[in-house]
Amino acid sequence: MAKILRFRFSRGEKLKYIAHLDILRVFERAVKRAGIPAAYTQGFNPRQKLVFGLPMSIGLTSESEYADIELSEDMEPCEFIARMNEGLPEGLKVEEAVPRNTKDNIMNQITAARYEIVFEVKEPKSLFEIHSMVYDFLSREDITIEKKTKKGYRPVNIRPLIYSVSAEKTAEDRFMIKAFLSAGAENNLRADLFMQAFIQETKLEIDILSMHRKALYASAFNEWKNPFEVAND
Amino acid sequence: MHPLTMMQLKIDDRILLKVEKPAKYTGNEWNMVRKPLDKVKMRFAFCFPDDYEIGMSHLGMKILYHILNKRDEVYCERAFAPWVDMERLMRENDLPLYTLETYTPLSEFDIVGFTLQYEMSYTNVLNMLDLGRIPIFARDRTEGMPFVIAGGPCACNPEPLADFFDFFVIGEGEEVINEIVDEYISWKEAKESRTEFLKRVSCIEGVYVPSFYDVIYNEDGTVKSIAPNTPDVPDSVKRRIIKDMDSVDFPEDIIVPYIGTVHDRIMLEVFRGCIRGCRFCQAGFIYRPVRERSYEKLCEIAKKSVQSTGYDEISLVSLSTSDYSALPDLCNNLIEFTEKENISLSLPSLRVDNFSLGLMDRVSKVRKSGLTFAPEAGTQRLRDVINKGITNEDLVSSVRLAVSGGWNQVKLYFMIGLPTETMEDVEGISELSINLIESCRDISGRDKFLNITLSTACFVPKPFTPFQWEPMDEIEVLMKKQYHLKDLIRKRTRNIKYNYHDARISFIEAVLARGDRRLGKVIYTAWSKGCKFDGWDEFFSFDKWMKAFSECNLDPKFYANRKREYSEVLPWDHIDMGISKEFLIKENQKAYEGDLTRNCAAGCSACGAQVYKTGICAKTKRGLIYGENTEV
Ligand code: SF4
Repeated sequence: MAKILRFRFSRGEKLKYIAHLDILRVFERAVKRAGIPAAYTQGFNPRQKLVFGLPMSIGLTSESEYADIELSEDMEPCEFIARMNEGLPEGLKVEEAVPRNTKDNIMNQITAARYEIVFEVKEPKSLFEIHSMVYDFLSREDITIEKKTKKGYRPVNIRPLIYSVSAEKTAEDRFMIKAFLSAGAENNLRADLFMQAFIQETKLEIDILSMHRKALYASAFNEWKNPFEVAND
Repeated sequence: MHPLTMMQLKIDDRILLKVEKPAKYTGNEWNMVRKPLDKVKMRFAFCFPDDYEIGMSHLGMKILYHILNKRDEVYCERAFAPWVDMERLMRENDLPLYTLETYTPLSEFDIVGFTLQYEMSYTNVLNMLDLGRIPIFARDRTEGMPFVIAGGPCACNPEPLADFFDFFVIGEGEEVINEIVDEYISWKEAKESRTEFLKRVSCIEGVYVPSFYDVIYNEDGTVKSIAPNTPDVPDSVKRRIIKDMDSVDFPEDIIVPYIGTVHDRIMLEVFRGCIRGCRFCQAGFIYRPVRERSYEKLCEIAKKSVQSTGYDEISLVSLSTSDYSALPDLCNNLIEFTEKENISLSLPSLRVDNFSLGLMDRVSKVRKSGLTFAPEAGTQRLRDVINKGITNEDLVSSVRLAVSGGWNQVKLYFMIGLPTETMEDVEGISELSINLIESCRDISGRDKFLNITLSTACFVPKPFTPFQWEPMDEIEVLMKKQYHLKDLIRKRTRNIKYNYHDARISFIEAVLARGDRRLGKVIYTAWSKGCKFDGWDEFFSFDKWMKAFSECNLDPKFYANRKREYSEVLPWDHIDMGISKEFLIKENQKAYEGDLTRNCAAGCSACGAQVYKTGICAKTKRGLIYGENTEV
């Protein structure tokens, strides 16, 4: 029984077209429909105390998103999971939940993310060629891209935010990049920006077919941790 | 099995991830209706000729979607006008316009129904038909193709669109749509021709089949007559209404969009119609009489809707919520529920008085910044002309109440170009607004003067109003008035922000609103030149429209700026909206005398709507002015 729960959820193909704030709203409404006793913020425009680990951009699927929810009454994690899933549309599913006792919310704890990006090359390439491109890419000390901000474009060096990258061949002309990237409230590198940099540096002509988030990590004592492992620190 | 269940499109990510807000094109929203297609006998595509975010805010669509889908043998799906980025990709990739429920092209449906909410969406209708691979002209549709139909407020003058629709539905749709569906299913089983079906529906009250009527014109271009050319077709088509608002179905399981829409909340329709009778306002006449829902029913709908949608906001919807007879009961009951459930309640179109301010203090969503007033005209004289029964004193005292209640921003709505308007009336708008700021000086505090956002719309004469015969001001005159007002305000104060509508858009709107059948070719020509989303400033092209008029040899001023005689046959005279022409003429004359007409709650003025024998007409005092001989 717990008043604050941390849960992991997945987002499939059907719901990948909506933006992060819209996902937040879908959850708020599901909570309401399911009659889950959410705690609300005080004040003029009360909101549910619901915090997400990391924003999801349009087009991204994920098997491993995290959020914290504060309740006004104790609730068993398994009951929470069952009721939420009745209120969630096809394409969003709560997979696991645990009590959260730490003071830190999930947003402040997330520090890294693992992605899988599948793309199709417009001109045939061997896996060896892709591998050497990845190698060259990672050998640079400076990878500067123009990042869109509220005030227009701004150059940023994203190299320090890339932890590791590997490539596999998945079908004829299709490859999958696995990238382990810095994430979180500070120093977040989105998968689409990472790919923008990769295309810019390698001059590869590709069509991105899918972007998928495999995992999110928190860090504690210099180790990557599953966010559930740090729910009670 | 329905022969068309085969055709389901796949929309590629390579399209969806290139457009803004792809969720507008993917459906799958909460409460979207899913049906086994093999059990369905009739497929209906409900089309809203504007962007998804606007269409999904429309209550009428939610109501009909619900009513149709309650029947197992019927499947109602939705389609919207794709935004320009999506349209371009659809055309490039040869992708037809499809419904969000099953990704089926419009051309595969039995009936394709449009709602006509505003004239400036007409070119979008054509564009959607074209994208949906349906012949744009009704006469080009052959056996096996969908019937294309329309309803909504603009259908009260269906003539400009007569070429494009197989038939129109006049009035409220909840009952008549079921009658049409029944007729369709039995017609299909009887394997009759297309014309047979049109004959069948023309016998349904409220259905207008334009191809069964001939229009003859006088030499001067006015209409000589509109008469049936087919036996058994009624001379005039009567508007349908719902008599009892408590027993008619109201959707509680509305679709909850993923992306924010214009009205992204539960809309509680409190009543239909309006008692006020402001002479410029079409809605005030074509939805008569006022018919209320009981507050018990409304509270029940509110609770069930929250449960089924998860929305955290409810808004009361009507033309003038303050006129609801059980407003205190409704609000008290609703607030009790919404407070407990952390739901915010919004109360638009409330008159500002002690009661409503007290109410707004109790509900959360009314931000202290925004209160709205619609005096519509700047002088008492002109307000009397339009039968807007508010005085300067009313306004000052309402605004003072608001300011002392902590509001320091108000929005004021006016109209420019009203009949009999002079420059003095226009100046009255700035006079009145500045006067409001001045008169609140003593209570608004030194550093936070009252701030006003002032908007003026251009007056557009509409069918079935007492001003249906009036000429609209010429574009240049409207612009002169706008600039003059802008100048006046800029010289006097910095606390007023002034916005005004593009007079050229209003001009085209005026032409379409009171046009006749000949305008069909103008609309078609304008669309061929690329006109669409005409109501959006960034897409509207006045030049293309003017070229279309000249290519079709029609003068838009003939429709917009000409004074019509009471004796003239109006293009919509064969549509019977339940408002008598005698009443409208009397109201027009009273307007010129500045003579007010009381509202329906104060007493009946026998407008004609008493024939429906329901709503406020059955309750109010009558016989005081000229209702004496009125049969009830
Ligand atoms: S008949 Fe009388 S009460 Fe009924 S809508 Fe007309 S004016 Fe109002």
